[in-house]
Amino acid sequence: MAASQKLHSVGRDWRERDVRVVLAALMIAVATVATIALFASQLQRTLVTSASTFLAADRQLDVENGRPIPHSWLEEAHSRGLRTGQMVEFSTMVFGGDRFQLVSVKAVSDEYPLRGDLEIQTREGGPRETVRSGPPPGEVWINPRLLRLLGLTLGDTLEVGNETLRVSALLLREPDGGFSMSALAPRVMMHKNDVAATGVIQTGSRVEYVYLFAGDTAALESFGAWLKPQLEPSHEWRSVRDGETLSRSLQRAERFLLLGGSLAVLLAAVAVAVASRQYAMSQRDTVALLKTLGLSGPGIARLYLRRLAIWGIVGIVGGLAIAIPLFWILASMLGNLLDRPVELYFDPNAVFPALATAVVSLFAFAYPPIRRLRHVPAMRVLRSQPTGEHKELWRDGVLALVAIFGLVWLYARELDLVVALLGSVVLLLLVLGLVGGVLIAGLRQIRGGGNAWRLALVGLYRHRGASLSQMAVFGMTIMLAATLLLVRTSLLDDWKAQLPEKAPNHFLINIAPDAKDDVAAFWRERGHPLEHLYPMVRGRLTELNGTPVKEAIGNDKNIGALNRELNLTWMDSLPDDNKIVKGEWFTPGTVSGVSVEAELAERLGLKLGDRLTFTVGSETVTEPVTSFRTVQWDSMKPNFYMAFPPGGGLDGLPATWITSFYLPPDQKTDLNAFTRQFPTISVLEIDHIIARIQEIIRQVTLAIETILGMILAAALVVMAAVVSATLRDRQREGALLRTLGGRQSLLVRSTMLEFGVLGGFAGIVGVLAAEAAVYALQYRMFEGSFSWHWSVIVPVPLASALLVSLLGRWQLGPVLSVSPMLLLRRLE
Amino acid sequence: MNQMTNPNADHHTPMLRVTGLSHRVPLETDTLTILQGVNLEINRGESVAIVGRSGSGKTTLLGLLAGLDTPSEGSVELDGAMISQLSEDKRAELRASRVGFVFQSFQLLPALSALENVMLPLELAGMDNPDRRARELLERVGLGERLNHTPRQLSGGEQQRVAIARAFACEPVVLFADEPTGNLDNRTGQAVSDLLMALNREQGTTLVMVTHDEHLAARCARQLHIEAGQLSEPTAEESVS
Repeated sequence: MAASQKLHSVGRDWRERDVRVVLAALMIAVATVATIALFASQLQRTLVTSASTFLAADRQLDVENGRPIPHSWLEEAHSRGLRTGQMVEFSTMVFGGDRFQLVSVKAVSDEYPLRGDLEIQTREGGPRETVRSGPPPGEVWINPRLLRLLGLTLGDTLEVGNETLRVSALLLREPDGGFSMSALAPRVMMHKNDVAATGVIQTGSRVEYVYLFAGDTAALESFGAWLKPQLEPSHEWRSVRDGETLSRSLQRAERFLLLGGSLAVLLAAVAVAVASRQYAMSQRDTVALLKTLGLSGPGIARLYLRRLAIWGIVGIVGGLAIAIPLFWILASMLGNLLDRPVELYFDPNAVFPALATAVVSLFAFAYPPIRRLRHVPAMRVLRSQPTGEHKELWRDGVLALVAIFGLVWLYARELDLVVALLGSVVLLLLVLGLVGGVLIAGLRQIRGGGNAWRLALVGLYRHRGASLSQMAVFGMTIMLAATLLLVRTSLLDDWKAQLPEKAPNHFLINIAPDAKDDVAAFWRERGHPLEHLYPMVRGRLTELNGTPVKEAIGNDKNIGALNRELNLTWMDSLPDDNKIVKGEWFTPGTVSGVSVEAELAERLGLKLGDRLTFTVGSETVTEPVTSFRTVQWDSMKPNFYMAFPPGGGLDGLPATWITSFYLPPDQKTDLNAFTRQFPTISVLEIDHIIARIQEIIRQVTLAIETILGMILAAALVVMAAVVSATLRDRQREGALLRTLGGRQSLLVRSTMLEFGVLGGFAGIVGVLAAEAAVYALQYRMFEGSFSWHWSVIVPVPLASALLVSLLGRWQLGPVLSVSPMLLLRRLE
Repeated sequence: MNQMTNPNADHHTPMLRVTGLSHRVPLETDTLTILQGVNLEINRGESVAIVGRSGSGKTTLLGLLAGLDTPSEGSVELDGAMISQLSEDKRAELRASRVGFVFQSFQLLPALSALENVMLPLELAGMDNPDRRARELLERVGLGERLNHTPRQLSGGEQQRVAIARAFACEPVVLFADEPTGNLDNRTGQAVSDLLMALNREQGTTLVMVTHDEHLAARCARQLHIEAGQLSEPTAEESVS
């Protein structure tokens, strides 16, 4: 009975226009925030899965120079529904024919790889085959260079320690091969079960055990949480985000989703705020009437609270009814784009911000004005505006900002983001309030109309209250949409610059000095000129200011770069994507000094002028640090921790050369000829890594465009809601103006101009505030550099002017089509 | 503005001439006839009251006379212009220059001050210094001290005085009043109708008023009765009684 009554009262409310606007705003708010949050959560998982092939798994547990992990850990993983696999990596000498060679062995279990695939050739010069597992016991797959170094052919045997294994295929690519130039020794891949028989692993051998895990995200996370307290210092629990190659791109994509979601929260809150405030204002007369009918103040409060609660529920249910199917559609679009099924992931947590946004903004904006009305005597409500409104408007404004940014904080939990957005919004409101207020007050001087421009400007002044508040909402909406547009543009530009269409996708390592020219000629003839050639000297950093380096920086620090040989180089000019952050790059003619990669320098605690000693073979080189520079590790170009000037510390030391170049997929067979002609040169194929990164960037781009589209749609709805808030007054005014003799064309032109000026001004201030927000966000969140975005600054205000003037034209609609007499009666 | 009367219209032609006027509104299944075969002439400077019960069609007639709507049949000639045949924009031009309105529900714009409300038609007509003329009129109707008050801050009688000031702003040749005292108490209604009559006399305007108030109607030189969409003019004896 009570339920049917409530339903009936919702039905009755629905007939009120203002209520419909509130409910529509609520539904849109819930739908936008929930869809973006759900999609962001889905995308994050898809991205991580897609990137997981770089680990050959979803997670890795690396154990460096330690013991294998207890078997019970793997059982625990299995009990949680995870799949596992194992690898053992070590270096050893192998014998083949009558020659021997130092190799890097990777012994894998049957399950390897859990994610991604391998590429092999079972016949020299034959087709490339893609396989989903490593070699069976008794066989090895080896790098083509090793085959030549040892003078073997496929089918021959290779001795690894005490075990003799048959070379059954050439290993061209492994999913987790990564992009590490330190793996200079040729690769041998064997089965893990053969390792014991080789007898190579003794106590104290340098061995890395790697455990692979794959499964659904929740299980991985719960297993990770179970595992972490038990990890030892030599253990490292890795996800793809911990890798260098992709982490930055992924992080930035995630940041963008977070920003998009936060902006959706903001916009949704504004939409509900505008609509519910308008509703509250429209209730003055009703409240007065209820009071004259004898309803008490608390009774009125209860009545409206109950109504708001019912609308909240209706809005949330309606919004979710839109969001969930929309999310499924977007998620399956993602699957289509990736050309493989996507594991749909419905994250219930993603829905909460939407609910909080709806409920908080509904009550924070609709309730205060209604609550105030109950204190006003019925006559006063009927007769004139309550006094002291201004003071309370301020209070409402502050409450609104606190409520909205509380919501953004709840959603994003990123202080930088909240501060940047809040700062820009406050700045925007101040500028709009002050400049807009002064400009509008200046219009007071304009008296008399006649032409559309004068009437438009007079109209702006006449509606100054509404004009200013509409300007504030338009400005804010445009700011939010433009912020996202700007960040998207600069992110996509950055990515495009980072990985251009024909980015180098093959590395040549170990080029002897006298082969340099021949190698360059080989590829030039085939139409694939080499990028820059860099010399490379292998050396170990041994001393810092004359003290052994581990001692100097503290033995407790475990810095990988100190445990292995580094690639040292010399170069005359700074690579384009490197930046000096401290000190100075070598001036021409300088032969002393070393430039150190900035992050390593920070971890080692280096200062400019510190003296570094390197051991290269039997030689030592000592040079002062003259600069720190940043390096784009994900640039897929040769990058170096340490750079010397030409003729400097590395002069005369044995060097090989490294270079990279672009090889189209259909010309990969050229590699066969190359390896035959230059057997000692290693070819590192990273075309699959690049293709995968490009795929990820495509996914992220799709996500970004989708979210941008949704935000723009939500922005449009907010603007329409704002305009419709004054619809009734405007239509009445239009009808009256027509009655008083205003021509239709004059009315249309002056209204469109009035709204156009309003939209244009809001657009200018909005886009400038967006630049301010991006300026703040760019450094802290996206690590990009700031520049003015003229391609956005110019068109946005124009588009905004056009859009708002069309909205103005739209609200005038019935005024033009119906006789003014009828309209005046209808609106009475 | 009086000089702006139609050059084709001399002082002997009537201000308003209505011939065979009918108005019908289509309903879902049927057609509702609101006015039927109305013929009428109103001379310059004349004051005419159209009296009738609610729903008798008097407001519709007023709207058609003023060119706010177009009739289903028949013609309306206002100050020499055949308004029933003019385009909407031409009718608007005519209203701007020659017609004033006073409504029962005042029809003031709530966001505008009294002064701005009165300035509205002056601005539309492209007049210079519209605020000077508006001020004068508001002083004339006794609201010189309340120029900047919005309608919400004014009483009903005051609002109607603002509306009257607005109606006379462009010095119309004909003023249409739709139940001008309908929303007011007796005393206020009396004061407002005094003001309306006085301004009408001062400006020599033709007044066409729709009302169901017999006393107000009696203040007009001529009374017409409307019932079920048909207009009748009582004989001299009837109108005195």
